[in-house]
Amino acid sequence: MAYLFKRGSSMERFVAGLVDDLESGKMDRRQFCQTMALAATVYAAGETAANAAASQGFKAIAINHISYACPDYRKARDFYASVFGMEMAPKSDNGKQAFLTFGPEQGKGGSFLITRNGTTATRSTAVIDHVCYTIPNWDEAKVRAALSAKGLNPTGRDGSLHVYDPFDYDVQFANAVQETAFRR
Amino acid sequence: METFAAAKVAEYFSGKISRRQLIETLALAATTAGFAEPHAAAAATPDPALKVALVNHVSYTCGDFRKAADWYSKMFNLDQVGATQRDIALPFGKRGEQPLGVTAKDVPLTHLIIRSRDLNAPAENSSEPRRKSKALVNHIAYTVADFNKARAIAELKRMGYANPREDTDYSVHIVDPNGFDVQISGIEMNALST
Repeated sequence: MAYLFKRGSSMERFVAGLVDDLESGKMDRRQFCQTMALAATVYAAGETAANAAASQGFKAIAINHISYACPDYRKARDFYASVFGMEMAPKSDNGKQAFLTFGPEQGKGGSFLITRNGTTATRSTAVIDHVCYTIPNWDEAKVRAALSAKGLNPTGRDGSLHVYDPFDYDVQFANAVQETAFRR
Repeated sequence: METFAAAKVAEYFSGKISRRQLIETLALAATTAGFAEPHAAAAATPDPALKVALVNHVSYTCGDFRKAADWYSKMFNLDQVGATQRDIALPFGKRGEQPLGVTAKDVPLTHLIIRSRDLNAPAENSSEPRRKSKALVNHIAYTVADFNKARAIAELKRMGYANPREDTDYSVHIVDPNGFDVQISGIEMNALST
């Protein structure tokens, strides 16, 4: 996107990162080419969109992070890591909070969850009552078996389930068929 | 641990991390309870069937969902789709687009669902009341395109936010009309840079 891959700056860094991945063998030539093609398409689409976009505000492109406050961040950290495969960012655990990464690489679209010690006191009149995560390659039987092995009893429907985390926070996880903005 | 170590070694040989980082990371992992105790390690091992790929949506409940949705649309240039009498979705992109950094075709665009509803009522597909959570999502950070802190502050002031709370070099905070903390971030802000 034009706003993402600003000429001479962000795009160059993006491509440099891809080249690094290619040279290091982290990405094969096919993946490299597919990603570059996608980037070019997105860039072109972004140019058009940017030209037509409203001249105010910001262009949100991803969730950067979610800040989750609870009585014991370690329990939350361990839950989200062990159940949903989030990965602890190096050196992010300072005894009061930890960063758990997921999705694309950090700095390339990836997000992170901050589990931190804190209270539920808030002056906000709005509440994030749940967060839903996408699980790719959804296999209903395997998903349910994995939940059972973790001692979790989900509610919901096939392809879109809910569990409570250790602090009774509602966590939803779903596939792309059941949960998408364009099919509600 | 074996998988973790293999990954770290691979990162080292590819030059992604230094020898010191490799040693420090493996040393920390080896002394962390989840890795040190075999049974605990087995229990803590994530199952690939549940590995999350992205935020699908954030469910934001408030008194007037239309007003909040309009605010998020204006602030973050988000379209509104699928409106009902009680909620609306704001996807981070257009139909058919891929999420940033994602090539898998079964990972849809992240979206906000902004809604008004009674949280004391039973949840969908459940006859039991919702549990009262002892945790709170106290802010959401949004990655925005071409973030520049000075420009962001200027834009926020132009939009009526005289005193956005400064955070790192790559983010600022404001509150939305419901008093919810909203962080506006550049892509440079991530779990490895903060």
